[in-house]
Amino acid sequence: MAHCPVYAELRQEGAVARGKLSLIRDQEAGRMPRGRRYRFFLSACLQCGSCTAACPNQVDTALVIQAGRARLAAARESSWIGRFITKKILPSERRLRRLLGLARASRALWAKKIPTQSGLHLRLRRGLDGQGRRIPEIANTFFLHQKQPSPEPGAQRRVSLFVGCVANYLKPQVAQAAATVLTQAHCAVDIPLGQGCCGLPAYGLGENEAAIELAVRNLDALMPLGQAPPDVITSPCASCAYMLKKRMPGLLSAWPELHQRAQQLAERVQPFSRLFTQLRADSAVSKKNSSENTPLLTFHDPCHLAKGLGERNAPRQLLGQLAGARYVEMDQADRCCGQGGSFCLSHQDLSEKIVSNKLSLAQKSGAEVLVTECSGCLLQLSSALWSEDSALEVISTAEAALRYQSAKKGSM
Amino acid sequence: MLDKASLKKIRRIMGKEAMLNTPADVALYGYDATPALDGVAPEAVVFPQRAEQVQSLVQLANQENFAVVPRGAGTGLTGGARPIHGGVVLSTQAMNQILRLDTDNFQVVVQPGVVTGDLQTRVAREGLFYPTDPQSLAVCTIGGNLAENAGGPRAVKYGVTRQQVLALQVVLPQGQLVRMGARTLKTVSGYDLVSLLVGSEGTLGVITEATLRLLPAPACRSTLLMVFDRVDQAAAAVAKTFRAGVWPSAIEFMDRHCIRCIEEHEPAGLPIDAAAVLIVEVDGSRPEVTSAAERVQQVMSEMGARSVQVAQSEAEAEQLWRARRSLSPAVAKIAPLKINEDIVVPLSTLPGVIDAIHALAARQKIKCVCFGHVGDGNLHVNFLADPSSQEEVARAEHAARELFALTVSVGGSITGEHGVGTTKLAYLGMEHAPEALAAMAAIKLALDPRGIMNPGKVLPDELLAKERGSGPAH
Repeated sequence: MAHCPVYAELRQEGAVARGKLSLIRDQEAGRMPRGRRYRFFLSACLQCGSCTAACPNQVDTALVIQAGRARLAAARESSWIGRFITKKILPSERRLRRLLGLARASRALWAKKIPTQSGLHLRLRRGLDGQGRRIPEIANTFFLHQKQPSPEPGAQRRVSLFVGCVANYLKPQVAQAAATVLTQAHCAVDIPLGQGCCGLPAYGLGENEAAIELAVRNLDALMPLGQAPPDVITSPCASCAYMLKKRMPGLLSAWPELHQRAQQLAERVQPFSRLFTQLRADSAVSKKNSSENTPLLTFHDPCHLAKGLGERNAPRQLLGQLAGARYVEMDQADRCCGQGGSFCLSHQDLSEKIVSNKLSLAQKSGAEVLVTECSGCLLQLSSALWSEDSALEVISTAEAALRYQSAKKGSM
Repeated sequence: MLDKASLKKIRRIMGKEAMLNTPADVALYGYDATPALDGVAPEAVVFPQRAEQVQSLVQLANQENFAVVPRGAGTGLTGGARPIHGGVVLSTQAMNQILRLDTDNFQVVVQPGVVTGDLQTRVAREGLFYPTDPQSLAVCTIGGNLAENAGGPRAVKYGVTRQQVLALQVVLPQGQLVRMGARTLKTVSGYDLVSLLVGSEGTLGVITEATLRLLPAPACRSTLLMVFDRVDQAAAAVAKTFRAGVWPSAIEFMDRHCIRCIEEHEPAGLPIDAAAVLIVEVDGSRPEVTSAAERVQQVMSEMGARSVQVAQSEAEAEQLWRARRSLSPAVAKIAPLKINEDIVVPLSTLPGVIDAIHALAARQKIKCVCFGHVGDGNLHVNFLADPSSQEEVARAEHAARELFALTVSVGGSITGEHGVGTTKLAYLGMEHAPEALAAMAAIKLALDPRGIMNPGKVLPDELLAKERGSGPAH
């Protein structure tokens, strides 16, 4: 309870793990209809894992809620977007106006033909509402469409880069930075073109079929049959890494052969900061003292990195070793930013309150650059900063690693 | 039963958003943190923001005869917030403002929904201290603490919640909005209604505002760990510590089963071959703390402690307290059902009582872990059972009854901080004479003749019915 960011804002029993678990238990026992408020409470979860991290018995509430959401999704006879439009939009003039504004604003996005499987559809389709939230700019050329140099033949480690939707469609500079610094660290970086969305947004909504389809596709791209698997699979986005490492094997558990391959894939997944600090340690790069006038960085722990993958050290180590910047720890760095996949769209008010708390903590730290390692957090924080007109900049750990690697480039 | 018209009236009082009655919403307010009790959904949940709304609701409840069950964060352990007679659950979660922090008079005025831990953090910024520290302080509310008269480790030095309260604003069971107590450090004007309300578990009214006493924050603390090979030595060392002129801010006891449990689940480096450990905390100015810690070490060694260790840093102290805090969760891990009792006994009887508890558990062939705030004689006795075995559950319940008999026989009390709720109703008569219970019933009936405030808690329905001289209220 003390740990749930949604409870902190909503202050209702339905926000916390105990309440949600009891609702799901009642529903399964046939004592609870899947009504409006039931669905509301199931959707009001960031899947941040804060409750599990604090639970003595490590109850994976996020997983139970995901399963509850999957049952909701499976029980629907029509697609929810259809039901959404017929039940919510058409009867309300206000909402209809909003939808038209949304369509106008998003024309550019759809014209770009982002594949329908991309989690961005789930993330963005209700977010582009012209209500003060920033519509993320679409990259001119998607990262996976950009020409990449072939991997160096003599490199020490064969690394496959999983790009993720945000870094592919919206922020190719993130993927580019990751590829560049890993290549500089003598990795042979392969960017398998068959990869798609990691499936976490669909999975989070309980749309398991779509998530399974994506899982199989990514399995084929990252662990191609008949070829030697890469040594390491990494992603500049911790949520993608979390999906591949922690949730994909379970999703494929009904198919023994796929399940086994997914486990082999999961063993190879390392979050970007972990891989990068390990490479630095291998090459024994020592920290140079950063001068006073270099930018001050702070780090926001993505839930899927700190709580999901248990990685709190590596990003701090990475940022602390950068010669071109200084590091300061912010208060409550691992407090969720309120993005939560579709949460920021279905619970926009709550999401905005949560992110605004987060930003004031970041601003209090005195940092000029807020670094994080998850595309959801990146979007959420940059969108909130944009509407607050703040001078703080938000970048990924991969970008920070590239930009501040040497003292000279620190003034960039 | 609430009909549509009553619900409409309640909604009018509360506002549209602050009254919920869908199946999902009411199911969420049918339970608290008491183990092994099924949820019993109320008919509606309300989230008032002002005392006047509480007053209107209680007045309506008197007219229409429905139950009002106040609720803080639902962390209670005796079923006090479960609406067993239906009606309306009144959540204080929307009354969560710190209204006034008066640093000149060392007091703070709060609404009931303020989280205890948040209050501590806020007053600490002014160098002040709100001492009461129940285990759930990160979420539990002041209103709930007042209703249950919550304690915690520091109660040994700073007292329980009652000792922190100067004045209250209360909606009485018949809907009168009254102030009681005074915003002074002492008062003897009239009956002490504050003391009556604190610990009344929501049966004598709804607390809508509290004026709490604050203390200067102690400059420093020191934490010590003592290891004993004999339980009776550890127990006897508690009283000896006071005799040596030390007034610790906490003295926590854990028996061998606790130590094993922690070490198996959250290893903290406690010696698993020990019979018992004590964790003692002293606070005050630096010289006071240094000298008190020295005296504690000396007393403990004299009392036969095998080892005495002083935490050398904040981190070391925190590790000891983390071990203590991880105990309840660790016990929860090994036992699907724990019957958790919180008896309190006179200090001098502690050694004998702890021995007798282990003996009675052995006689009933039931697993038992024993720990607690022994500094004030408060012991948490957990009987562990497998809920799938009716026979084992029955033995555990039998052990609990024997425990209460033992407690009362040495002049103790059946609950030190969890309250009666519904789970201890059956044992109330073991501690109090019929005449005393009749006096309690008379108070309840005088203030709440229609029995609308949290019915079924603290006093058995049958007792109230008998005293009223008519049929049961519900």
